[in-house]
Amino acid sequence: MMAATANTYIAGVRLRSIAGIWYRHALVLRRNLLTSLSWYFVEPFVILVAIGIGVGTLVDDVQGVPYARFITPGVIVGSAMFHAVFECAWGGFMRIQKGVYETTLTAPVSTREVAMGDICWTMTRTVVTAVCIGTVAAAFGWIDNISGVGVLLPAALVGMQFGALGLIFAALSPNVHILSLTFTVVASPLYFLSGAFFPIASMPDWVEPLAWAAPLTPSVHLARGFVTGDLAMSHLLASLYVIAWIIVLFPIAATLLHRRLVK
Amino acid sequence: MKTTSDDSVIRATDLTKRFGEIVAVDGVSFQVKKGETYGLLGPNGAGKTTTMRMISGLSPLTAGKLTVAGIDVTNQAREVRNVLGVVTQEDGLDTDLDAKSNLIVYGYTAGLSHADAEKRADAVLMFFDLTDKANEEIDYLSGGMKRRLAIARAFMTSPRVIVLDEPTTGLDPQGRNRVWQELETMKQGGVTILMSTHYMDEAAALCDRLAIMHHGRILAEGTPDELVNRHAGSEVAQVRVSNGARQDVVDWIGDAGFEFRDAGAVITVTSRNGARPDLSGLAGVRVSYRPSNLEDVFLTMAGRGLTDDE
Repeated sequence: MMAATANTYIAGVRLRSIAGIWYRHALVLRRNLLTSLSWYFVEPFVILVAIGIGVGTLVDDVQGVPYARFITPGVIVGSAMFHAVFECAWGGFMRIQKGVYETTLTAPVSTREVAMGDICWTMTRTVVTAVCIGTVAAAFGWIDNISGVGVLLPAALVGMQFGALGLIFAALSPNVHILSLTFTVVASPLYFLSGAFFPIASMPDWVEPLAWAAPLTPSVHLARGFVTGDLAMSHLLASLYVIAWIIVLFPIAATLLHRRLVK
Repeated sequence: MKTTSDDSVIRATDLTKRFGEIVAVDGVSFQVKKGETYGLLGPNGAGKTTTMRMISGLSPLTAGKLTVAGIDVTNQAREVRNVLGVVTQEDGLDTDLDAKSNLIVYGYTAGLSHADAEKRADAVLMFFDLTDKANEEIDYLSGGMKRRLAIARAFMTSPRVIVLDEPTTGLDPQGRNRVWQELETMKQGGVTILMSTHYMDEAAALCDRLAIMHHGRILAEGTPDELVNRHAGSEVAQVRVSNGARQDVVDWIGDAGFEFRDAGAVITVTSRNGARPDLSGLAGVRVSYRPSNLEDVFLTMAGRGLTDDE
């Protein structure tokens, strides 16, 4: 548990607010540990094994590695994205609708801290899922490099980036039908555009720049760099690109949430 | 912090809230004294909830001045929520957590230590007679229990002032009585309560003083008895009339200068001078009298009932 005394502020941010929200999410996870395992473990495991081994039998080595090994970084990062979107878009929307955020705001908490608390938790969640899948992948030998631990970095970045994006969708969606576009129109296409399942170089020429600009792609690239242990300047640039997304998205998320909640 | 010489805990001066073109609260002024239960009574859409939300620091003021325990809400909305317990209109319970965890999470977020939040949750559950529901899923609680849990949550930080938006709307009579009882106990414990309601019996039963609100304004303010005596007289007449004679009777009452509400079978008539309306000149109808109540006050002042559709 975070040690935040009741009235510690950093740059106007009340730490207890964030700790309280984080604690709430951790309690919810503890209460639903078994069902949550399916999210954190079973589903990514199935994708990794089914596609990695299943499709892998039909596919030659990609970029010099077996297919399962090729997709491992992308599955880790893609799973992190879905966790983040689920927590902040779906979960955030439910918390708006059910008045949970409003209740939080009746304590001395600001909307910015609500957004920060949710995103901090989301980052925790994406790191946990990366640990789960990474462990499975390591057991299969698809991650065999100590630098593979580094995939936790893109997982955490994706947690913040898509957590903020999820909150934006939650704050903007008037109903669940529009909210569901976050999954169908945003998350799923980005997953396939990210280079997780096939190299971006194999995409049509006109798609390639789009694919590189897409918000999930740099994190897959970064994760792949950590898994192969082959890190270059492009990976640093990829990290900076994702951090830029976070810097842009977070204030928008906090502002939109404020507009939705404080009228 | 004390900035006033009197003992007002909440001071609202010309409180105004506009949403675009709509004026939700239109220059409302009132003061709530320490230890008092103060009610905002009015129909849906009168501006009660918006007023409560401004006081809770959950809705910025468009204009006016508002202090709670000497703290200016305009620039210190967060500090205000340090001294207030707020119960919003919807219970706002977290259905992903059990009853006790709802309390603990709120208490911890509001600033209690883990150990204190745990202890306080037990005490508060006991006070609200919810101890055996501590580990219950929220969805399995009755409406009355959810409401009491939401009030209990506001009490986690032992506030001296509590803001309650429609404490019993939607509850069955048993649930209402229960909430009333607990509010009475809190009040006796010295807690200052600001509540809103559209039930005149609730306002009469709980409030020391109240403001009658309509279209974002306060129409009248006083103790329930004062308001009734001043605006509706001691008794109202209820006139039963057959359909054929209705128009003549309505015309007669109007010409005689009484306020009335035509609710189908019964026409309710109030006088303004404190006495019971004298309808002895009216022939061919059945007239009975009953003591006036706050509903009649509202009828007299707003020309409509508290629960009528506009």
